[in-house]
Amino acid sequence: MALGSEARTLRLVHTGFRMAREQGRAWVAVHVAVPDWETPGEANQARVWLQEARDLGAETAWVRASTVSEGLIEEGARRKASQVVMGKYRPLGPWDRLEHTRAQEAIQRMLGVRIVTIPLDPPAPRSGAVQTTADLLGVVLAIGALLGVCTIFARALFTAVGFPGVPPVFALGVGFIAHRWGRAYSLPASLAAVLAFPVWFIPDRFPYRPEDWDNGLYLAGALVMVQMVVLLIDRLHKETRLLRRREAETLLVMLLGRALARCATAREVALVLAERLHGLVQAQAWMLVPGPGDSWLQLPEQPEAPPGPHPSELLPQFSDNGSRAEPFEPLFMDSCTYVPLAGRGGAEGILQLRLEAGRPLPPESWGLFQSLAVQGALALERVRWLDEAHQARLDTESERMRNTLLGAVSHDLRTPLAAIQGAATSLLLPDPLPEATRLDLLAMIRDESDRLARLLGDLLELTRLQSGAIQIQKEWQLLDEVVGSAVLRLEARKGPQPIKVDLPESLPLVPLDGALMEQVLINLLGNANRHAPDSPVELRAWEEPGFIHLEIADRGPGIPAEFHQRVFDKFFRMPRTLKDGGVGLGLAICGAIVKIHGGAIWVEDRPGGGARFRITLPLDGLPPAQFEDHPPATLGTQP
Amino acid sequence: MSQPLILIIEDEASLRRFLVPTLANNDYQVLTAATGADGLAMARSHNPDIILLDLGLPDLEGGKVLQSLRQWSRKPILIISARNQEKDKVQALDLGADDYLTKPFGAEELLARIRVALRHATQAVLDTPVLQCGALKLDLERREVSMDGVLVRLTPLEYRLLEALAQRAGKVATHAQLLNEVWGPVGAGQTHYLRIYMGTLRRKIEPDATRPRYLLTEPSIGYRLNVD
Repeated sequence: MALGSEARTLRLVHTGFRMAREQGRAWVAVHVAVPDWETPGEANQARVWLQEARDLGAETAWVRASTVSEGLIEEGARRKASQVVMGKYRPLGPWDRLEHTRAQEAIQRMLGVRIVTIPLDPPAPRSGAVQTTADLLGVVLAIGALLGVCTIFARALFTAVGFPGVPPVFALGVGFIAHRWGRAYSLPASLAAVLAFPVWFIPDRFPYRPEDWDNGLYLAGALVMVQMVVLLIDRLHKETRLLRRREAETLLVMLLGRALARCATAREVALVLAERLHGLVQAQAWMLVPGPGDSWLQLPEQPEAPPGPHPSELLPQFSDNGSRAEPFEPLFMDSCTYVPLAGRGGAEGILQLRLEAGRPLPPESWGLFQSLAVQGALALERVRWLDEAHQARLDTESERMRNTLLGAVSHDLRTPLAAIQGAATSLLLPDPLPEATRLDLLAMIRDESDRLARLLGDLLELTRLQSGAIQIQKEWQLLDEVVGSAVLRLEARKGPQPIKVDLPESLPLVPLDGALMEQVLINLLGNANRHAPDSPVELRAWEEPGFIHLEIADRGPGIPAEFHQRVFDKFFRMPRTLKDGGVGLGLAICGAIVKIHGGAIWVEDRPGGGARFRITLPLDGLPPAQFEDHPPATLGTQP
Repeated sequence: MSQPLILIIEDEASLRRFLVPTLANNDYQVLTAATGADGLAMARSHNPDIILLDLGLPDLEGGKVLQSLRQWSRKPILIISARNQEKDKVQALDLGADDYLTKPFGAEELLARIRVALRHATQAVLDTPVLQCGALKLDLERREVSMDGVLVRLTPLEYRLLEALAQRAGKVATHAQLLNEVWGPVGAGQTHYLRIYMGTLRRKIEPDATRPRYLLTEPSIGYRLNVD
């Protein structure tokens, strides 16, 4: 689909999006830049629409071509387009209509695709911008030629019907000049017409006869009237252009607001703002926002913003009781413009802008940038509220958890403590105990304190996992190593365990947090061995594109289907469970760890009896590069 | 050698109460300090043979104490830390601590670690170029590795890795230390290099790779060549 620079183009983008979604196809938004035709402002505008299209899932293309249809044919052929959506302005003059139809036919012929046109309001009229002296010369020549043609016509009419035929011809000519090249050119043209009159129409040239004076004045009067009409039309055009610009700006603010609404952090807000402003005016933008304590943060951090005054010095300038009459107006200092990010509760921060070549922001864009800054400030405010709400929820959650914990754990904490205290006080009794009893009590103190330590460790771990306080450190690891470490640690605690490990050597590296995943394996293997002490636990792993699967299967009594979900709840213990079972934290920890890895864990019945725990972990990100090594030397390891 | 002098820098009285008699009963002389500042002063005045340093001191950060000690002393330093302080442990090891113990720990473990650290301190370099642990024999001079007398063929990188571990036999070597010694500056941060070569090394050396006997993993910290 093709884009123009007008605000109405947005309708085209949205139509394209809708059609693509309805037909379930990919879509590409194409802007064809025609050299010498597009102004920088229009190009910037088109960039904004392309950004919007990108946000709606389109690919975008920026094509340079001498005509729109040529650019579209080229890009359409490259992308193998199946359909082209174009805007069509209404109402069209006959000439435009012919051109449009020709362009459409050309595209259809070349690409052999269906073309859908969408009626759009006509573009604002362009004023013929004159920039170079060559342009000026061209315009002067064109105006001269036009006046010449008018004169020839007027002369023919003059001979046929006399003087009344003359003024309408010149009025038409001057009117066209004003319309095409602007009022500035129509004034000299009028003068030229009035002066030409006596030269061309009065047979004896000089001196003027009285009746010719009247005719000349009449012609001058007619041209003055034309000037007045032109003035009015011109003003109307100006206002239409302004209106169109306002409309485009309003849309811009709306689009930015929508993009900002999706941001969840201050950094994302800053990135969106920087990206949009870059697209709009090729300006680099940063947000200066208060950080922890008294510090200030520059967002985004890269690239480095040019050094400027410290935000805490700038901020008073943007407050109501500052020294400036208009406190919210942008401030230009050291090649950068500063705009306050004014929210409801005062300034949320400062927007720092650096335009190309360190130019100041032109005053006619102040309004727009202030609106954009307000959008940024509102987004920042919302992000702050979100953070606070999240924190509050965490606080409630941990408070609730503390209460549950106190209830459920006090029993489990007291039991080992009671045993330790009992044993220690017995050992301290004045009457010596038999050696065997003494050793037995001491061993009990050791075992029970072990149990206490493990319980406390688990509680801490789970609290930290669920509060989000743990920063997961994923590294590319070999499963062999994690499994080996887990088995070793388990056996160091409980003596040799019957565990059968089956890990294919072809397994890829897996991104995981080694210490946490080891904990998962220890818990699962330990559980399995406790419930099925007589048969080996089997651990195996296999790869599926994008995922790694782990399975820990035992031949124990299994887990009834109604508890398959609940075993992962904290403090959940199965009815009639073994006396030396844990407190119901092990599987909750496993669940939490697998969850922060972005994976899944579940339990199912094992065919033939027993339980089977399955873990699926995503293999996300690119596996790291390997380091080149040499093959082993033939003898020993001589270098 | 006379009774080695141990300095314990630990703020918790109950832990000191357990450590002092345990160590004294095993033929060590024991000094204690409850704060980092006291600990530094005592280390300077008594020059102990080994220092047990708690990372969670009330006045100074454990890392700071360690840095001050390492400015003048090469004596072994054993870190005592709570669980879940992996980052602090790695930092301490990279700053020059010799080993670490995680609270709670038992007396046997403590004594074993002290023995390894002291043994290592008395022999700045291995006294023989041959290291024998169980069936694994490592001849650093001839650059040969054998299991039960059978030569094991290692790639140059695998050998360098094993050698780096052997330099610290019995003690933990952090990821950063191993990467630096085997790969040099390009290895910084590339722990997966280490994991891959540790994997192939284990397949060549360990009789049962799922229950490593020689090359032990210290999760999130590094590796240890087991000499017991």
